[in-house]
Amino acid sequence: MSKFIDRPRYACALGGALSTLRAIPCAIPIIHASTGCGHNLHNAINPGAGYLGGGYCGGLALPSSNVSERDVVFGGENRLREQIASTMEIMDGELYIVLTGCMVEMIGDDLDAVVSEFADCDKPVIAVHTPSFRGNSFTGYELVLCSLIQKYITRQTNKDPSLVNVLGIVPAQDVFWKGNLREIKRLLERLGLKVNTFFGESETLEDIKNSGRASLNIVVSDVYGIDAAEKFKDIHGIPYITTGFPIGADATKEFLFVIADALGIEESLAESAYESERQVYYDYMERLSDIYNDLDLQRYAVVVGDSNYAPAISRFLSDELGWLPELVVITDSLEAAQQNELAKRFENFESGLKPSVRFDTDTSSVKKYIAEIWPRNRNERYFNFMNPTVIIGSVYERDLAAEFGFPLLTVSYPVTNRVVLNRAYAGTNGALSFTEDLLGILVAGR
Amino acid sequence: MDYINAKSAPAREDRLKASIAFGGTCGELKNCIKSGCFSKTGCLNLANRRFSQTQGCQFTLSLSILNTLRNAVVIMHSPIGCGVCSIGNVGVNKTFKQLRDPNAEGIIWLSTNLDEVDVISGGEHKLREAVLFADREFRPETIIVANGCVPALIGDDIDSILADLETQTAATIVPVHCEGFKTKVMATAYDAVYHGILKKYIKKPERRQYTIEPDLEKLKEQYRISRNVNVFNVSSMSRQDELELQRLLNAIGLNVTFIPCYAEPEDFEYSLESSLNISICGTHDDYFLKIIKEKYEIPFLIDTMPIGRKNTDRWILKISEYFGLEKEARQLIDLENRLLDESLEPFRKALSGKRAYISGGEVRIIATAEILQDLGMKVVGLKAHHLDQFIEPVFDALDEIDDVLISAATNQPFEQSNIMNRLKPDVIITHTGGNNITAKHGLPVLPLFGPSYNYMGYSGTYEVARRLNRILRNYQFNKKLSQNTRLPFKKEWYEKDPFYYIKNES
Repeated sequence: MSKFIDRPRYACALGGALSTLRAIPCAIPIIHASTGCGHNLHNAINPGAGYLGGGYCGGLALPSSNVSERDVVFGGENRLREQIASTMEIMDGELYIVLTGCMVEMIGDDLDAVVSEFADCDKPVIAVHTPSFRGNSFTGYELVLCSLIQKYITRQTNKDPSLVNVLGIVPAQDVFWKGNLREIKRLLERLGLKVNTFFGESETLEDIKNSGRASLNIVVSDVYGIDAAEKFKDIHGIPYITTGFPIGADATKEFLFVIADALGIEESLAESAYESERQVYYDYMERLSDIYNDLDLQRYAVVVGDSNYAPAISRFLSDELGWLPELVVITDSLEAAQQNELAKRFENFESGLKPSVRFDTDTSSVKKYIAEIWPRNRNERYFNFMNPTVIIGSVYERDLAAEFGFPLLTVSYPVTNRVVLNRAYAGTNGALSFTEDLLGILVAGR
Repeated sequence: MDYINAKSAPAREDRLKASIAFGGTCGELKNCIKSGCFSKTGCLNLANRRFSQTQGCQFTLSLSILNTLRNAVVIMHSPIGCGVCSIGNVGVNKTFKQLRDPNAEGIIWLSTNLDEVDVISGGEHKLREAVLFADREFRPETIIVANGCVPALIGDDIDSILADLETQTAATIVPVHCEGFKTKVMATAYDAVYHGILKKYIKKPERRQYTIEPDLEKLKEQYRISRNVNVFNVSSMSRQDELELQRLLNAIGLNVTFIPCYAEPEDFEYSLESSLNISICGTHDDYFLKIIKEKYEIPFLIDTMPIGRKNTDRWILKISEYFGLEKEARQLIDLENRLLDESLEPFRKALSGKRAYISGGEVRIIATAEILQDLGMKVVGLKAHHLDQFIEPVFDALDEIDDVLISAATNQPFEQSNIMNRLKPDVIITHTGGNNITAKHGLPVLPLFGPSYNYMGYSGTYEVARRLNRILRNYQFNKKLSQNTRLPFKKEWYEKDPFYYIKNES
């Protein structure tokens, strides 16, 4: 059973669905919900994701049935029918997706029946049940993808052996989603693959429609995108592997080899791909050899983030940057099995370090864990304090950082104190940007 | 009017017969108001749309006040999504609070995270846990429980649960019933919030009682109260706005307290030791001020909004009349106008003749139009979130407005896009939100409000002029966007009447 959450770092299923659709060009969401749902969620998604904005038809341009008391009493189906018809009249899109909020699900509107009346329209209309009480943003991402997989993506028996799909990066919840997808795609192309990421640069609805031809789904997450991958397997017979979210040269190497292995690509190709990545990467990293050692830029770290970023950043800090990630708080709402799976990611760090890993959805908990892992000085003359430390978290950690006097780099949602466009933190290029941002804070006063 | 004993405030479409869907001219609207359109038989009240876009609900708007209250924790009693818009205020909220109190904390909120199980079996258990956690963990003075649609529909008896919990908490618990589906008029939020404030924050302050009260102390006290006024701020105003209004009222000898935004609980208690409650926007305060007058006999003023010279003059004069300070007020007004009028001259040269479109809250847009006319600009269209009786006095400051288009639409950028395409203004002054559409018209955009800019009083008029001038000097950003991105509406939409989708639901 779930509990209350102190400052949640995600919206509801409808919110996740909206940010997922925000990332698909020419997909028009139609919200069937109370008046404020779309507005409220936009005001979370936009600032939280580094000012993602409403884009083509998001934000306050989102079509919404805005049901009110009267519809709750008499049912909202007529209003929905009217709204779908008028939306198709006015909004210029290629795909119309009807999403639901809590109220209409509770009063029992028959969404699927109403939407089926639009089956003969020249543009597809798809229904997705996304009430808030069903789950959070991550659930919304899965629900939208599962509906597309079931109702939109063409079933194809002939698979393209060099075509793969990437799942597990949730637009907006991963603030750097678009840059990250570009980097993952770039790495996979090094193995000679063609890649659908669904939300990447220059990708279209046509690519999504044809993603059923892929021969492998790559889930770059231990938690997100797995429902979608299962659905792909059921409906389109595409197998999947999960790889974890790669940040840094080590993780990139592992990623390339795992994919090569799964697709029967020659290991030498992965080896040469990695080798050229490594060369470029260390050409840049080499620059830091002076400043890192001149100034002793090693730091303790507290990492607060979601299931993708927290393990990936911790490992990068530990095994490549040579830092000391002492505490990791994973802020998602997770089942025990998912927690166990994630905990494995913190075993066997090359550095030999073993961060204290906590699973907690409450923002106020982070401070308590710091006190637990590293007691405060009680007036002792000589005291080994966890300092200097950098917090890698979200904007919620700002007060905590200020209280301890630790610098903060915001990476995990919500990130309202940065503007994010095409930046990536995944892969080798992403790790370089991450290092720039992280060490940039430390030299900012120089 | 016995609203306060009810569980929650009534919806504005019922209480004020407010309208959210209208299209016509200002002249038509004025006639409409005269003929009683905001009365029981009102023609404007029941209109709605066949196509609509998302808009704020009373829950999200309630948070814009609730999140500003100091020493409070807000509990969103709802599934996980409701109120998550507070994310957008995490940083600025703390900064703004600290302008009033350097030690103030930022927003702390909890979501009761109602899930499928709770929808069936009720959310009481989670609400109890959340309230007790908030009390223990954060030790706030007040815990505000804002409930969304779901608990209202499953029938949680929130007031009883909270009354019971209050015996176990150090904090005062304030229920705010602001479920979104209850009203089409977003501004009902103000009533919902004030309803909670009235029930829990408003009580006479505990002062030391004299055994035998010396006459001098008594006179001092009476004099103090006779010069105290409360100005009802709004969360869209800035600290600079407050300081300007305070300066003007201090100048005629009045002491000012600002409530409700960024106030502490005790500010509400001391607000009862006051001689006049002053609204700056009828849309916000009428519900609260009427009840305070009935209960505590403090008179109130709801007239115009002090934006623009004429409106500010009028606002100060109306206030001064309560205190017999008209002479002082006129002196101040003359002095301020002389100074400001000269300072606006260079901007008049640059801005004169420019055509402007304004959209946002009904009172604010009309008040802002006065600044534009003052600068020699031409107001070519207005769009209000909703329309009700409070728009009437604000029209007085405007010249030649009767033929100007006015519409009512809470956001609804599709209508605005169509109207802009027809009117082709030179500049748009608009409420936040929806600028992903507005910007693509390639025009300069000035935000209608901004909690870090000065808009009010005489200094605000100058600031608006200065910023308009700046924004018009270079709007390449929006121009390039319009050349390189496209609007989501079909071509046919721009051939239709902008009010084509308005329907009557009676």
